[in-house]
Amino acid sequence: MLYFIADLLALGAINAIMAVGLNLQYGQAGILNFTYYTFVAIGAYIGAVTTMGHPPVPASEETFILQWNLPWPVALVLAGAVAGVLGLFMVLVVIRRLRSDYLAIVTVSLGFIVWDLITNYVPLFNGANGLFNVPYILNGATASEITYTLEVFGVAMVVLAVCVWVVRSIFRSPYGRVLRAIREDEVVAASFGKATTSSRVWAFVLGCVMAGLAGALLVFYVNAWNPQGFLAEESFILMAAIVIGGPGNYWGAVLGTFVFVELLSEIERYLPNFGNGALVGAGRAVLIGIVLIVVIRFRPDGLIPERWLRWYRVPAGGGQGGAAGSQSRGEPRRRLGWPWLGQRSEI
Amino acid sequence: MLQIQEVEFAYGGSQAVAGCTFDVPDRKVTGLIGPNGAGKSTLMEIIAGGLTPSSGRIVFDGTEIQGLGRIRVARLGIIRTFQTPRELTRLPVMENLVFAAPNQIGEGPLQSLFRRSRWAAQERELRLKAESLLEWVGLTKLREEPAGSLSGGQRRLLEIARAMMAEPKLLLLDEPSAGVFPAVRKLIAERIREMVERGITVLVVAHNMAFLSDVADDVVVMAQGKVLRRGTLSEVRADESVVAAYLGGGHVGGTS
Amino acid sequence: MNLLAEAVGFGLVDAAVIALAAVGLSLQVSVTNFINFAYGDFMSFGAYVTYAANAAGLNFFPSVAVGAAGTGLLGVISNWVVFRPLMRRKSRTLILLICTVGLSFIVQNAIVMIWGPNAEHYSVTVGNALHLGPFLFTPGDLILIGVAFTLLLALHLFMQNTKFGTALRATSNNDDLAQACGIDTGRVVMWTWAISGMLCAVAGVGLALETNSLRPTTGFNELFVVFGAIILGGIGRVYGAMLGALVIGILTEVSAMFISPVYSGALAFTVVIVVLLLRPQGLLPSRGRSA
Repeated sequence: MLYFIADLLALGAINAIMAVGLNLQYGQAGILNFTYYTFVAIGAYIGAVTTMGHPPVPASEETFILQWNLPWPVALVLAGAVAGVLGLFMVLVVIRRLRSDYLAIVTVSLGFIVWDLITNYVPLFNGANGLFNVPYILNGATASEITYTLEVFGVAMVVLAVCVWVVRSIFRSPYGRVLRAIREDEVVAASFGKATTSSRVWAFVLGCVMAGLAGALLVFYVNAWNPQGFLAEESFILMAAIVIGGPGNYWGAVLGTFVFVELLSEIERYLPNFGNGALVGAGRAVLIGIVLIVVIRFRPDGLIPERWLRWYRVPAGGGQGGAAGSQSRGEPRRRLGWPWLGQRSEI
Repeated sequence: MLQIQEVEFAYGGSQAVAGCTFDVPDRKVTGLIGPNGAGKSTLMEIIAGGLTPSSGRIVFDGTEIQGLGRIRVARLGIIRTFQTPRELTRLPVMENLVFAAPNQIGEGPLQSLFRRSRWAAQERELRLKAESLLEWVGLTKLREEPAGSLSGGQRRLLEIARAMMAEPKLLLLDEPSAGVFPAVRKLIAERIREMVERGITVLVVAHNMAFLSDVADDVVVMAQGKVLRRGTLSEVRADESVVAAYLGGGHVGGTS
Repeated sequence: MNLLAEAVGFGLVDAAVIALAAVGLSLQVSVTNFINFAYGDFMSFGAYVTYAANAAGLNFFPSVAVGAAGTGLLGVISNWVVFRPLMRRKSRTLILLICTVGLSFIVQNAIVMIWGPNAEHYSVTVGNALHLGPFLFTPGDLILIGVAFTLLLALHLFMQNTKFGTALRATSNNDDLAQACGIDTGRVVMWTWAISGMLCAVAGVGLALETNSLRPTTGFNELFVVFGAIILGGIGRVYGAMLGALVIGILTEVSAMFISPVYSGALAFTVVIVVLLLRPQGLLPSRGRSA
């Protein structure tokens, strides 16, 4: 039971990083990226091949590129960087030319192409067999399973904290406002001289970097990885989780991911399989689909809507008397704490 | 301020703007009128950078701006409103205004992260300015409402306040008085006159003659993609060719 | 040369199946203005209902009719329950797109829950392969091509010659205008879902016959090939979709024979991306605004 919770925490933190990143892309910048997991996969592979060194058993026929032996923090940063660069390439090609829904199709297609390439072209990442024996980080090789899990949880929380700091700063800054404006109406944003293309490109790239970081952490945690974990379906589920949780609000994204990606799949593991052997997994997907549609129908802003986050808190103190006076008449003074306790604004 | 010279634009085989030439004088309100389909909105779109004319020049403050694109045109200080108001519907009214301020610090991703104190100070000023603009158009109470929940007239007012927030040199107003109550129309007209007093040049498309007589110093009549007549509103209204254009552009048939 | 002809022949069979699906999807996209990610799963659903009817003792062709009717109904129900309320609210395309993804989850996994995750087969024989000129076809292939051709021809006649067909074309050109002209666009949308559902069910059956196996993911895996076809033909253009299907069907088979079958999926995706980027209006010359 303790291990179950620790495992839930570690995977939860890693998933939360993905949620925060994808939410930056979809919730803030309005880019529907159906192949987010491709960038997670890239990060995972880069994290693996830069720390694994040569195959431990030369005869194991495990083939992969690089075969470096970097310290894991370096590998982690590298994984994020590579995913970001690939994201940059992808988004530069498509973003100017495509309507958002065609862009979604292109993202899925690109994801499939990358997946085809990875699974079929063995020298790159050992093909469909995936990689094994990815080294533990920290003292994982000697520590007990539960200690290691908690350590990974700690590292993931640090990375998550950095990501949340970035996303929160963006959310509150003029940049975040430009992103939301573009999301609502690109023509209006352009008509006020905002840099529509580059703003979206950077949001997308940052989201991909977070995907890469999460991927690398994941591979350090499970020590092996194979392409079957990165099917398009995973990206769809992640996207669904964000839409359910509340696109635009990073807390909603994290909650949605935790419940729908994480908790459900963990519970699924502990449920006895009955019926035709795939009933539980399929039931989970049906459940996600139904919840997704119901939420969009009846609560279109998600369970934790964006408006529960405060847009920007004018810092107290500093400023002239006049400014302070107008503030107190101004927006309600909600502190950012747990947003679900915040009051709802009327619509 | 703005010179439109021989601008042409074809649109799916038909010549929407067919050699249009006129000036928009500095610190004046120029009205642009004409029957439906005369090419007024197309011309506005061309000036705003949304469309590239097939020929002709548009000169703003001495620089040619045709085909520059919306973003660069806006950065030169040409700000527009839309024929059907386009608010950022899910964002609060306040955000709708503050967003419009030009050249904000922290609009780039890196600045947003590492120059927090700079943009935070700026944010304070922008908010004060937005407050005063909201008061100016009488929307103060709706400050925190999502812009999508506003009524038609309120949206028109918000568009005007938002345009002012962008510190324009030239303001393009596309039917700012369409579909609003007479009282709001009066308010809008008043506000437009105040803008001119603050040194802003305005080009306004409108159908409502009462509104135009309140705001416009001068009107340009367009018909079938060309400038038909230019003069004060009363001069123009007395002109028979203008009346004929409104009654169907020389053809017998329906009017707008 | 012989190999090429055979590949082209296989490509024709592929193209027949893809054309049915692509025309159905294109019809739906042209009327509803959003792309449907659940369409592939509708194909699987049609194929499974056919399988169930057949397994229950019905002959094969009546079973296909049952499958088509069932899928048409599924389309109509999804429209009623999911899309109609959202379109009334003028939801954005992106939101509708995400809804279709949710629907895809539901349909695909409901199939798994009902019929299980393993491959099924129809109990029909496709007959022995015959040489027809340079091509190599089984009688089953020929029937498939014939059925596809007949259905598409029937659809064409229906669209051109009936009042409903006119209403449908008007709605797809401009639904506000159509509504203003007194066309009941809600009814048109409903029938569009029904027709596109029926077409895709037949396509699903054809797909299962052609690959000789039926899995819950059969349709979804074919979805992007269908997307490829409608993108090639120009999104929402029904006749373009037929041409796109022909091109992509032959292209994938030829490449499978001469390059490697493992990359034929990637090829379809590449076509999708390249066409979307370079000629988003499709291969055919774009029609005038007032078509």
